[in-house]
Amino acid sequence: MTPLASAGNVFIVDDDVSYLRSVSRLLTATGHTVRTFDSGTAFLSQLAPDMIGCVLADLKMPGLNGLELQAALARSVNPLPVVFLSAQGDIPATVQAMRAGAEDFLTKLTPKEKLLEAIQRALARAAQERAGRRRRQELQQLFSQLTQRECEVLVQVVRGQMNKEIADDLAIHIRTVKLHRTNLTRKLKVQSVAELTRLYEEFSQL
Amino acid sequence: MKFLKTKKTISALAVRRGIFLLLVLLWSWMSQRHVFAQNLPVHPGARPKRVLMLFGDAKDSAGILTLEQAVRAELQKDATHRLEFFSESLDVTHFADEQHIAEFKHFLRSRYNETNLDLVVAFPIQRNYRTAGELPDELFPKVPVVFVSINEMEIPFEISKLGVTGIVQRHDLSGTLNLIRKLQPNTRRIVVLGGHSEVDRATLAEIQGVAKSLEGMQFEYWTNRPALELPPAVSQLPPDTVLLLSSIQRDVAGQRFYLSEFIKTLAPKANVPIYVLASASIGSGALGGAVVNLEELGHRTGQLAKRVLAGANPESVPIEVQTTGTPMFDWRELRRWHINENLLPAGSVVLYRPDTLWGQHRQVILISFGVFLAQALTITGLLAQRRQRRRAEEKILTQRTELAHLTRVSTVGQMTSALTHELNQPLGAILRNTDTAEILLQKAAPDLHELRAILADIRKDDERAGRVIDRMRSLLKRRNLELRPLVLTDVLTETLALAAPDAQRRLVVLNLKTTDELPLVRGDRVHLQQVLLNLILNGMDAMAGIAKAQRQLLIQATVAADGGAEVAVSDAGTGFPADNCDRLFKPFYTTKPDGMGMGLAISKTIMEAHGGKIWAAKNPSTNGATFTFYLPAYPGNV
Repeated sequence: MTPLASAGNVFIVDDDVSYLRSVSRLLTATGHTVRTFDSGTAFLSQLAPDMIGCVLADLKMPGLNGLELQAALARSVNPLPVVFLSAQGDIPATVQAMRAGAEDFLTKLTPKEKLLEAIQRALARAAQERAGRRRRQELQQLFSQLTQRECEVLVQVVRGQMNKEIADDLAIHIRTVKLHRTNLTRKLKVQSVAELTRLYEEFSQL
Repeated sequence: MKFLKTKKTISALAVRRGIFLLLVLLWSWMSQRHVFAQNLPVHPGARPKRVLMLFGDAKDSAGILTLEQAVRAELQKDATHRLEFFSESLDVTHFADEQHIAEFKHFLRSRYNETNLDLVVAFPIQRNYRTAGELPDELFPKVPVVFVSINEMEIPFEISKLGVTGIVQRHDLSGTLNLIRKLQPNTRRIVVLGGHSEVDRATLAEIQGVAKSLEGMQFEYWTNRPALELPPAVSQLPPDTVLLLSSIQRDVAGQRFYLSEFIKTLAPKANVPIYVLASASIGSGALGGAVVNLEELGHRTGQLAKRVLAGANPESVPIEVQTTGTPMFDWRELRRWHINENLLPAGSVVLYRPDTLWGQHRQVILISFGVFLAQALTITGLLAQRRQRRRAEEKILTQRTELAHLTRVSTVGQMTSALTHELNQPLGAILRNTDTAEILLQKAAPDLHELRAILADIRKDDERAGRVIDRMRSLLKRRNLELRPLVLTDVLTETLALAAPDAQRRLVVLNLKTTDELPLVRGDRVHLQQVLLNLILNGMDAMAGIAKAQRQLLIQATVAADGGAEVAVSDAGTGFPADNCDRLFKPFYTTKPDGMGMGLAISKTIMEAHGGKIWAAKNPSTNGATFTFYLPAYPGNV
């Protein structure tokens, strides 16, 4: 078990104070950074975009229950992955939780290995999702600099059109096409057409 | 319950009817005794049968009176005709001369005639046949005659004569002598006291005749001493002696005696027992003897007379000769002379035995017994009834307990998922704490402070799990109703704790409102919890279909008007149809698709067992229902 403190915090949400304390103890002892909340509402009120990590939530809680918390989180600025803990297996709730993208659904009597693995996976996924989100932001940032015309030229370029064909297609002068190409490669910080194509594909996947 | 009540009434009726019957029987039995005694089945219109009782001797001795009465009694017994008795006495002891006899005949003839007499019973007693025996034949030759004679040696008169039959009874001398030898085997001497009349001498002669044949026994005949001298003389007899009284009509001095009177003067002085020959002598101080049983003789004579009176031809009825006497004794004398009753021969008659309580107070005893019996029956009936009722009650209680247990089990079953959840919380916490402790212990320098905190938490969670199990177990345990003083608020709080997980699961908010004014109640904690739990679960079921925000269940405890306690459980659910208020509490009535219909029925019996009640009403403000139960205040101090 490799502690991944850098991977972020574990936010534990459980109305059962005793369990909350015990599980936070375990995760702390296994090298995690832990923050505890005794209700979903309390957690959501403190949720910030820069919070890194995963959520370990009890399914049954008064007020906001686990599934409702998951839904609220998904709509929020920081959709952290959720691992559910339940005092008791509940098949319909499990199905719903997994469909909504829960990392895992465990009972409170789950062996610690399974629990820690699930936390690990959730943290990894969190990191991954976070990186992805960051890349998406980068790309969006890059492409948002392009003008309408540059965008049109870019689409033709990645389709493999020659400058002349582009000029004909867009009914502009071939020198103008070249100018647009120079500008967009500069804005997108690419060196080659191949690089440009890869970047465009990555962006268009978003 | 209803069935039981009917049965109870029937058995009570049966008992009452039985007692009444018994009293009626008792009364009728008592009154019938009188009826039978008074009303003989006679023909009232028919001419009475006329019977002349003709005595040869004076009609003043105890023996003759006994004999006559027995004859009369026997004739009257079951008589088909009314009987008219006439009685005449010649008294040959005093008036034996021919002239007197002739006058007596004349007198009889003028009084009676053949046409109006149906029977003559002649009592010649001893050797008077010439007079009393012959008289009827001479006077009323066509009237049948039945005679009775004692100690006649010969048949009294020609039986060929018309219309005569009778009984001759002889003295049983050898019987009496055998009795003496049997009862007092040491006897060597018999002193015979006798008189000087013709009868006396004849009797003595008889004794002498028998005495001759008796070996080893010395007989002394004190016949020549005036009777007055005898009492002092008999006071100093040797112990191996007994006295035998022969007939004494007249002593040597010519004085007349009645034997029974004479014995009365003799017996107190005598230092040895006195044996006698006739039953009439017993009772005045004589021990007894194989005597002529005059009463029996009278009855036999009466039977004979009855046959003749009924139309039997006396000639065809043979004359009976009776030679054996009846061993007859005076119980007081047997005691006086210390004679063991076991020595008496079979068939002995013991007279003057003090009446047993039964004999003296037969009627009182019978009535008392009847009353006692009636009372005992009543009591038995009532006891049986009570036992029956108690058994039924016990049975109901057992059934109710079992049903209560079953519904509790089913209630707990409904809550199982909630309870499992409740149990897994502490178990999960314990597991996590154990996991952590393991990890900490693997370190070079374990954080002992943290380990201690972990252990404390484990203990706390363990206790918490235990409490959950206890709560469940107390509900699941089969138990009888135990009424104890209870603080109702505690019961409410505990029950709410039990229901809370389930309520949470169903998103129902449980509100408890109670007051410090609540009285102490008398009840069974678990059973009351069951009632309340049932109401709470019902309330939550009723709200399953409404918006989550409205799922509020109010449990409110208030002081009742009479000082008892009322607990109302109000839901905001869908309520129940207006006409169902009473049916709600009937067994197997349910509005739920998977309901058993026992919850409220059981709650009702539980409340009734508490002396309380339970009812349902619609909520005035909302659509929901309010179920209220009432418990009387605990009467004692605690």
